[in-house]
Amino acid sequence: METRIRSIFLSACAACMALILSTSLVIAQDNSSDDQSDNDSQQKSVIQPDLKRRDINQASIDSENFEIGLFAGIISIEDFSSSAILGARAAYHITEDFFVEASYAQADAGETSFEILSGGAPFLTDEEREYSYYNVSVGYNLNGEVFLSENWVFNSATYFTIGAGSTEFGGDENFTVSIGAGYRLLLTDYFAVHVGLKDNIFNSEIIGEEKTTHNIEYGIGATVFF
Amino acid sequence: MASWSKFYALASLILALTASKTVFADDDLPEVQIEEQFIEMHTGPALGFPVFHVAAKGEWITVIKRRTNWFKVRTDKGKEGWVKLDDLRLTLSSEGEAVKVEDGSFDSFQQRDFEFGAYGGALEGVPSMSVFAGWVITENIATELSYSQALGDFSENRYALLSVTHTTFPEWKVSPYFRLGFGQLQTKPKANLVQSGEETRTSDLLAGSIGVRYYLAQNFVVRLEYQNLLALTDRDDNEELEEWKLGFAVFF
Repeated sequence: METRIRSIFLSACAACMALILSTSLVIAQDNSSDDQSDNDSQQKSVIQPDLKRRDINQASIDSENFEIGLFAGIISIEDFSSSAILGARAAYHITEDFFVEASYAQADAGETSFEILSGGAPFLTDEEREYSYYNVSVGYNLNGEVFLSENWVFNSATYFTIGAGSTEFGGDENFTVSIGAGYRLLLTDYFAVHVGLKDNIFNSEIIGEEKTTHNIEYGIGATVFF
Repeated sequence: MASWSKFYALASLILALTASKTVFADDDLPEVQIEEQFIEMHTGPALGFPVFHVAAKGEWITVIKRRTNWFKVRTDKGKEGWVKLDDLRLTLSSEGEAVKVEDGSFDSFQQRDFEFGAYGGALEGVPSMSVFAGWVITENIATELSYSQALGDFSENRYALLSVTHTTFPEWKVSPYFRLGFGQLQTKPKANLVQSGEETRTSDLLAGSIGVRYYLAQNFVVRLEYQNLLALTDRDDNEELEEWKLGFAVFF
């Protein structure tokens, strides 16, 4: 790189020197061609106007690698029916393919079939029925384009995520692995809408025996890049 | 009923963020001149997006914004597209110099100011997760703030640490580091044990770590770490905990 800069610099210097030398020679040789050279310089200024270009080496370029937004959907909490879920996500795009993402969401769990049928005492208090999770995931994009019509084209990406976090439910925090897939449609350079599907897997003892529960959620979201 | 109010706050923050996205006046945007025979413009910021336009040698292009290693540019004729970093490097500034931009390379990693990332691991055999953010003071020394959660069968541990890291050989791609920190540990018994009389305990915490970091690729660093934690309990014996963890960091 350095040698390249140096060679460009040197050749620029050489060109300048040559130009100065040749002009002074021309002026020294023949004064009658003064008018001609004036014309030349005028023409030159027409061809190369003195534009002020702002250089990239000093300017800070607005980089948009962060993405933040909200999502809403339905989560099926194993044994506790389905509920509405509302969450927030923030992502940092490392390369065009990979990103890391943190998300947080909460829902109010419903009742088990047993609670409804028996009409007896509820398993959980209202507070314990609050379901919330956070997780940190790594994601991979498959970038593409969508043609809604011939001239109406949007950039998009199908992405897959895998991550870990914690789910608070039934008064306990549970280590949770989450696997997800989603689709991001970029309506503008910085505004995107999402459709996503995620499975939150954790071990639970709420029903008595310990078992692995799958809590599948899907939903839509919107994010902005900044 | 769960408290949804925090989402309203976040929603208004996002709206404010969207509204505050200033469109830079054209005069403020940097311009570069194409030096190679041509430069390819893609429809989006990734190789997967097709090339739809080619700008020729000598043309000036305006650089509008950046996403990862892609730059949105506009030609004099108003065509807008995305150019990759390697191509932008081949353009020249108005002084005829090759264009220089931050590229997430190992060199720029060594000049980083901030880092953040996450770990997954095992604390005394139970899964643990940590997030951290760090400020790099010199090439050897950095401070870090981290928050961890370990979820066991009987209890849940959370701890926060403020620490100082020393990287002895910052110029190595695979480089060992040492860390000392202090903070607080909170231990909460599982709900099914609460009835047995256990309560949430908080104790001061000292931590020492030894680890190795590896600059894997563009903007991405992997860390493997062993941490020894000493909880200063108010019982007769202090509690010693061991943690192994693997994580990643991104930097600015």
